Amino acid sequence: MFKFIKQYAENIAGINIYPMISLFIFFVFFIVLLIFVKKMNRERVQELSNLPFEKEELNNSNQ
Amino acid sequence: MQVEKFYYDNRIVKNFAFATILWGAVGMLVGLWAALQLVFPQMNITQYGSFGRLRPLHTNAVIFAFVGNGIFMGVYYSLQRLCKARMFSDKLSNIHFWGWQLIIVAAAITLPLGLTQGAEYAELIWPIDVAITVIWVVFGWNMFGTIIKRREKHLYVAIWFYIATFVTVAVLHIVRSGQLPYSFLESYSWYSGVQDALVQWWYGHNAVAFFLTTPYLGLMYYFMPKAANRPVYSYRLSIIHFWSLIFLYIWAGPHHLLYTSLPNWAQSLGVVFSVMLIFPSWGGMINGLLTLRGAWDRVRDDVILKFMVVAVTAYGMATFEGPMLSLKSVSAVSHYTDWIVAHVHVGALGWNGMLTFGVLYWLIPRIFKTGLYSKKLAANHFWLATLGILFYAIPMYWAGIQQSLMWKEFTEAGLLKYTFLETVTYMKPFYSMRAIGGTLYLTGVLIMFYNIYRTVKQGKLVGNEEAEAAPLQREYEKHTGEHWHRVIERKPILFMILSLVVILIGGIIEMVPTFMIKSNVPTISSVKPYTPLELQGRDIYVREGCYVCHSQMIRPFRSETERYGEYSKAGEFVYDKPFQWGSKRIGPDLAREGTGNLKKSDGWHFRHFREPSSMSEGSIMPAYPFLLTQNLDTSNTAAKINAMRSLGVPYEKGYGKQANRDLMAQANGIRINLKIEGIEVPANREVIALIAYIQRLGKDISKNSSPTFNK
Repeated sequence: MFKFIKQYAENIAGINIYPMISLFIFFVFFIVLLIFVKKMNRERVQELSNLPFEKEELNNSNQ
Repeated sequence: MQVEKFYYDNRIVKNFAFATILWGAVGMLVGLWAALQLVFPQMNITQYGSFGRLRPLHTNAVIFAFVGNGIFMGVYYSLQRLCKARMFSDKLSNIHFWGWQLIIVAAAITLPLGLTQGAEYAELIWPIDVAITVIWVVFGWNMFGTIIKRREKHLYVAIWFYIATFVTVAVLHIVRSGQLPYSFLESYSWYSGVQDALVQWWYGHNAVAFFLTTPYLGLMYYFMPKAANRPVYSYRLSIIHFWSLIFLYIWAGPHHLLYTSLPNWAQSLGVVFSVMLIFPSWGGMINGLLTLRGAWDRVRDDVILKFMVVAVTAYGMATFEGPMLSLKSVSAVSHYTDWIVAHVHVGALGWNGMLTFGVLYWLIPRIFKTGLYSKKLAANHFWLATLGILFYAIPMYWAGIQQSLMWKEFTEAGLLKYTFLETVTYMKPFYSMRAIGGTLYLTGVLIMFYNIYRTVKQGKLVGNEEAEAAPLQREYEKHTGEHWHRVIERKPILFMILSLVVILIGGIIEMVPTFMIKSNVPTISSVKPYTPLELQGRDIYVREGCYVCHSQMIRPFRSETERYGEYSKAGEFVYDKPFQWGSKRIGPDLAREGTGNLKKSDGWHFRHFREPSSMSEGSIMPAYPFLLTQNLDTSNTAAKINAMRSLGVPYEKGYGKQANRDLMAQANGIRINLKIEGIEVPANREVIALIAYIQRLGKDISKNSSPTFNK
C-alpha cells in the first residue's frame, strides 16, 4: 500500500507549486474565518469574553 | 435551577507552582554556568560538566522543567475555573505531577552522562521519550475529562490554546521520537540527513510554537484579564489569532535551514509562512496590551501588570524579529551567530519568564488566602529581571552582528581577513557581559523565591476551594442562527480534531514530498557508509554534544567556501543518523575537517583533544583528556551495524559480526600514525575512534575531483 503511494508521489511533476498551493489554502481559510468572525453577534461576544469572571467581579469592574 | 457545590483543587496548582520556581532557578543556574564556561574554559569540570553536555541540560531544564511546570500550573488553575469543575481525577493530577518531575530528574541525570539523541531540544533518550508520551496522555486525559464534566457550556479562548497545545505537542513528540533502539538506553534516528534535519526543525520550531507560545497565550488570555480586572480587548480577534496562528506556525520550521542542503521549495515555504506569522502574533500582542485599556494608570503601581506588560511586549518583539530573521538575506547574516541566542532569550526571559513571574505573584497569594509578603521585593525583582534581559540581549545582538561581519570580511587581496580563532577571542567580552545579564536575572528569581517563601509562610493553603455553579443542561437548545464557532466551542473533541487537521495540513505538505520524492535528495555515488570505527567515533561526537558548538553545513557563500571548502550537498548526509548540521558556530564548521587545507594530522587532533589551547592559543573549547584514557566500548558494534542496516544503510548482510575486526585494523593504523608523531597510546582508546570520524569528514566527495551526481 505504502509502496504504491510512494511510487505515485515520486512521479508528481512540478513539486515547486507546493508553496503556492499552501499559500492559497491559507488564504481561503483566513477569508472564511474573517467572514464568520465578522458575522458574530455582539452580545454573545460580550458574554464569551466575560467567561473568566465571576458575576460579582463583573459588577465591580468599570467596563 | 439547583446549584451544585464543588471544590477546586488548589493543591496540585501549588505543587506545579513550586516546581516551576525550583526548576526555573536550577535551569537558569546551569545556563549561567554554561555562559561562564565560554569565558573561562577551565570551568568545564570533568566530562559530566563539559559545555556540550551542560548546554542541552540548560535548554531542556528551562523549556520542559521551568516553562513545562509553568504551563501545568496555569492550566490546572484556570481550566478548573473556566469549566466550573474540579479536575477530572486527583489521581491523574498526581500521576501527571510526579511523572513529570521524574522525567525531569531522569533528564538531569542522563544528559550529563552523555546519553543523548543529539537532536536539539529532543536530546532525551528513548525510554524517557516513552515516559513523556505516557505522562502527556495522562495530562490530556485529565484535561479532556475536566472539560467534558464542566458546568460552563462554552470553552473560553484560553482552553482552545490548551487543546491545540496538547494535540500538537503529541504529534510533534511522536514524529520526532521516531528511532530504532539498539540497546536499553541508546537508539538511532529513523530519519537521516536532510530528512532528519527537516523533521528536527519542524519539531524544533514548533516546540517553540506549541510549548513556549500557545499554552502561554492561553495563560495570557486568562490571567491578564484577571489581573487587570477587565475582559480581553477583542474576543473576535482572539478567534482569528488562534486559528491563523496554529495554521501558520506549523509550516515555518524550514526557516532554520535556509541556504542549507534542504530543497529550495521547502525553504521558500518556510519563508513565506514565517513572514505571514507576524500578523496573528501581533494580533495576539495587541489583544493582550489593549486588554489594559483604561487601566494603564494601574500599571504604574501594580507589579503583576508590569511583569505582564513586559512579557507581552517581549512576545511582540520576538515575533517581529522572528519573521525578519526568516528572510533569506537576513538569515545569511544571522544564522550560526549569537544574534539567534539573543533572539531566543528575548522570548524565553521576556515572554515566558516574565509571564510566569506575573502569574506566580498573582496566584500564590490567592491560593494561600493572604497578601503578597513584600510588594517592594517584587518590584525589585521586576527591575532586576528587566535589566537582566537588556544586559543579556544587547551584548549578544552586538556580538552576533560583529561575528557575522568578521566571518565575511575579505582583505583587498581577496583573502579572509580573520581566522576563526580571532573571531572567537573577540567575542569573550560580550560573553562576559551576557553572564552579568544572566546573573541579574537569576538574582531576581532568588528574590522571588524568598518573597514567595515568606508569603506561603504567612498564609495557609486552601487545598480545596469551595465554589458553586449550576450543572450543565443536557439538552442544550440551539439558538436560531447560532454561530458555527459557538457550536465548536461546546464540543471539545470536535475542537481537538479540527485543530489536529489544521496543523496536519502544514506538516504533511511540508514533509511528505521530501520523504517521497527521490529528486529532493540527489544521491552521490562516492558517499559510502561509515566504517565501524568511524561510526563509533561519530557516536562519541554526538555523546559529547559537539553539535552544540560546531556546524557541519557549509552554505554556498564565498566567505564559507573560502574558509571551509566546497558547500554541502544533500546527498552527503544520507547515512547520518542523527544529522549533525548544528545551529551555532561557537567553533568552526567541521563538514570538511578531514580534507583540503583544513586537514590536520592525527597527532594534531590527539593533542587538541587533550588540551585545545595547546594547539590553538586562546581557544575556548573544553579539554577532553578523558577520551585519552577511556576504552572504546566495542561490545555494541554489531548491534549498531545491524540497527543501521535495518534503517537502510547498505552494510553487507552479516557485516555486524566482522565489524570489530575492521574496527581494530583501522584503529591500529591510527595508533601507528600517532606513534610516528611521538605519541604512545593504545589502539582501543575512545580518542582513536573520534579521530577516525573527524578525519573522515568531507572525504566522500573529495575522492573525485568532480563528484558525480545521480538523480
